[in-house]
Amino acid sequence: MVSVGVFAGLTFGGYSHNLDGMYDSMQADDEDGANLADIWIDNRTTSWSPDQVQSFCNSLEDSLAQSSEMSLDSCEGRTIIPGAMFHGEGDDQEIINSLWHGIPSDANSDRIWMPEGHSKGRVAVANDEIVIDAHVAGALGIEIGSEVTIGAGNNSADFTVVGIGYHPLHVLMAPEGSMFPPDEGEYVVGYLSDSGISRLTGDVLGTSNMIVLDVEGNPSFDLPDTEEYEGDEIDEIKFYVENSLNSTELDARVRDRGQNEQVEVMRQDLEASKRTTIPFTVMIAAIASITIVLSLQRLVQSQSKEIAVLRTLGVERKSLMTGYLIAPVAIGAFGCLLGSLAGPSGMNWMLDFYEDIIGVPIIERSIPISTYATVIIPTMVIVFLSGTLPAWKASRLDPLEVLSGQTEMRVGSNTLRKLTSWMPTTLGLSIRSSVRKPIRLSMTFLAVGISLMLFGSIQMMSAGLEDTLLSGIEDDQSWDAQVFINPDGEGPVLEWAGNVSATSELLIEMPLGSVEDDSGIERIFTLVGLNNYQNGMRQVNLLDGDAPSNDSDAFQVMMDEGAMEFLSWELGDSQTVSINGVETDVEIVGITRGEMSRTMYFLRSDLSDITGINATSVYLDLPDGVEVNTELGEVSVGIVERQDIIDGITSLIGDQTKIFQAIMYLGLLFTIAVMLNTMIMNVAERDFELATLRVLGASTKRLGTMLLFESLLIGIIGGLVGVLFAYGGAVGLAASFSSWQFYVPIVVIPSVAYQLMGMVVLIAVAMTPIGVWRLRRMDLVEKVKDLSQ
Amino acid sequence: MNKLLQMENLERHYETPAGVVKALDGVTIEISQGERVILLGPSGSGKTTLLNCLSSLDSPTGGAYSFQGEEVPRNHSEKMTSFRRENIGYVFQFFNLLQDLTVLENILLIQEIAGKKDEARALELLKLVGLESEVNRFPGEISGGQQQRVAIARSIAKRPNLLLGDELTGNLDTETSQKVMTALVKACQEENITSVFVTHDEGLIKYATRVIRIDSGKIVSDELTKASDEE
Repeated sequence: MVSVGVFAGLTFGGYSHNLDGMYDSMQADDEDGANLADIWIDNRTTSWSPDQVQSFCNSLEDSLAQSSEMSLDSCEGRTIIPGAMFHGEGDDQEIINSLWHGIPSDANSDRIWMPEGHSKGRVAVANDEIVIDAHVAGALGIEIGSEVTIGAGNNSADFTVVGIGYHPLHVLMAPEGSMFPPDEGEYVVGYLSDSGISRLTGDVLGTSNMIVLDVEGNPSFDLPDTEEYEGDEIDEIKFYVENSLNSTELDARVRDRGQNEQVEVMRQDLEASKRTTIPFTVMIAAIASITIVLSLQRLVQSQSKEIAVLRTLGVERKSLMTGYLIAPVAIGAFGCLLGSLAGPSGMNWMLDFYEDIIGVPIIERSIPISTYATVIIPTMVIVFLSGTLPAWKASRLDPLEVLSGQTEMRVGSNTLRKLTSWMPTTLGLSIRSSVRKPIRLSMTFLAVGISLMLFGSIQMMSAGLEDTLLSGIEDDQSWDAQVFINPDGEGPVLEWAGNVSATSELLIEMPLGSVEDDSGIERIFTLVGLNNYQNGMRQVNLLDGDAPSNDSDAFQVMMDEGAMEFLSWELGDSQTVSINGVETDVEIVGITRGEMSRTMYFLRSDLSDITGINATSVYLDLPDGVEVNTELGEVSVGIVERQDIIDGITSLIGDQTKIFQAIMYLGLLFTIAVMLNTMIMNVAERDFELATLRVLGASTKRLGTMLLFESLLIGIIGGLVGVLFAYGGAVGLAASFSSWQFYVPIVVIPSVAYQLMGMVVLIAVAMTPIGVWRLRRMDLVEKVKDLSQ
Repeated sequence: MNKLLQMENLERHYETPAGVVKALDGVTIEISQGERVILLGPSGSGKTTLLNCLSSLDSPTGGAYSFQGEEVPRNHSEKMTSFRRENIGYVFQFFNLLQDLTVLENILLIQEIAGKKDEARALELLKLVGLESEVNRFPGEISGGQQQRVAIARSIAKRPNLLLGDELTGNLDTETSQKVMTALVKACQEENITSVFVTHDEGLIKYATRVIRIDSGKIVSDELTKASDEE
């Protein structure tokens, strides 16, 4: 237990320490890093000429130079456009939803990250060169020198792959606005040169729809998952940015790192991964302590006669106490040594795992001495303290009482007698024996509870999350493909749908809603506009209230439960929110469940009135045998298939669960160890009783039944305690993981609770054969001798 | 009197690193229904081994042992347990009552194990040993002598054919020993139970109908007592 505790502590401690460095290496403002921008200014519905960009940059630099101590390292225009990759040949050609960046080869910030040994080739320079993101290159079989055909809008062009690398905005390989990375290879990000993107779009070189700012130094920005506001430094820059946007008449969204979902989501994921390691390590230490206390107490109890003899022979209490204190310290030291030796392997295994999930190399790997110290010193203190009580008890044993057998005499419980007197005597005895030592039993249940908290809380949370998210998209939605379009670009898609007899439905979906919360932090949410929520291709899981209608003067909306909770909004409230920069009053008429990102649902006509956009995509319900094809790809700016999203959710939750699998299995292992320890102690302590019954003629079958009943009783109570702890843990985990970006609802899936209960009962019952085995091996002649002494 | 059991040339030898120890070395005895036998002998004489063989706790390594005309099982734990359940009552020196059960429940438990649960009889037996007022008390709440009387009531509650006891008054003072033995004799007489007790205490001979002395694994004397003549 000690070695497992130290192993777990070092594994999680080292893991947490090295994860910190993971994004630091990637985002670093040095030759090896990608130099993540500090501010992104963008407008996806327009593009700015090179002069407009230059004018804005000059204005901002001048304002800062005149009025602020801060200055810019760079102000650069970029183009980021959705598109498609045409992968494969002929009938096998696949249209893959994609995103294309135009990054000048001499860019200062938001560069491609090409860590040595973990990437290939170089950045794109010429107008026919492309770097493919390393997350997808393998899945698509793309190598340096491969030729790829890509499209954007109505244009397409061939490019040669010159590099395979990473980008700090695409650690999470999911389309903007989605939290769910599609299956590997189902979403492509590629990095072209500025001339390359110009060739693809047909725009003038330097045309941009995004400006990235790199501020000198590291201005602090607000972390949305904290109570405090840390964004004062970046706010100063943003103030001048807004002024310059106004003066140059550019209309744009301005985001810092805390507001850029693609960066913030991964930071929060990392923080959550790190945060969970502390309670898990504490829980493991707690289980280890309980087990050590119970085992040492049992040791003292079993050695009470020897201790009494030693005391009778004149051995001092101090010597006895020292002896019993040395034992746990020696056990602790040995356990720490084993745990320390295994810790680095555990850490590497976890980091490899995280690396596989995130797809970004973790280059720096080490366990600092301080981590060893913070794991080993508390462990040794816990082990030492765990040994103190049994050692003190050992030194306080009265030799006369022990040798006369008085310590073994006790008076049964009248309450238990009354409660169990109606039962057959053997069953009554089983129950009374099981609860004979309530403190020990409680500690056992506590240890089982904590073990199951480790095991069950993750399972409970992920099962609830999967059920909620999947049932939303599997049961409430019926579309096959979502085809993204440019503004007013729905015509050709609807025509294609008509040609193949597909049913279509227009919708608006864009992450352009925002509102200030009570702390004054701007919260961004996704806007969804559908024709109706009763019989369309996308329905919602309505928790409370009604779907919006256009009967009211105000815009009626539904909001997801996560947003409602974070914003402390109530059903029926009227609120003012910003919709694509337009202040709009809305009335909350419904609360929905099933969205991971914060979402506000409108009727499409209402949202269209506010934004001036008719649709951003088209849902298609395809007849049997019809699939999306190149023709559809060419008239769209990207296609997502519902099945890919379902696979993506399953895969994401599976991946997130996998990272905790080690903890889950540790929890299971602890549950088995704690139950085994308790059952063996129970049986060992009852040698006297069982031998008496055997001598008096009780068959092993009858005694086995008694033990089985006891095991069942302990298993059922332990299981109930375990389920409660697991639920508590799941609530805690969900709270720890939940943020504005990720909201994790806790939905109890009864089957998970039954599984946990069943598992504990099974473990308890599986211990019965050990008791029966001991009974069969019992030498009754020797036992009778013991009973007569 | 009907013959209850017969041992013929019974041996119990142990292999030890120092050589073979002959705990029982050719013991031949017959015990009849209703006898109250006391086994006397110095420490290590083999009397407890003989008691263990009689109860089928231990398996003889040689010779024959029949009970009510049937061979007693040996080297088979479950069959030996079954034999004890059906035929043997046992009283321990340290009473060995189950402390989580009341006085009455201790008796009911043994009846339940033997498939002969009868609360009226259990209460009757407690009355017989003078403990009718203690039925709902726990063993830890009554004296050692009272506990031993509960143990006696427990041992005969299932109407065993043979009642065995190893130093059953060894842990009691003289006055309490006499009370316990009086209760035991009374119970055995009323229930017509055959009994064999191992003891060091020559003072208990007056409660027996027969005394067998044993030394070095052999029977050295086998005599009927005055009580036998009176009965």
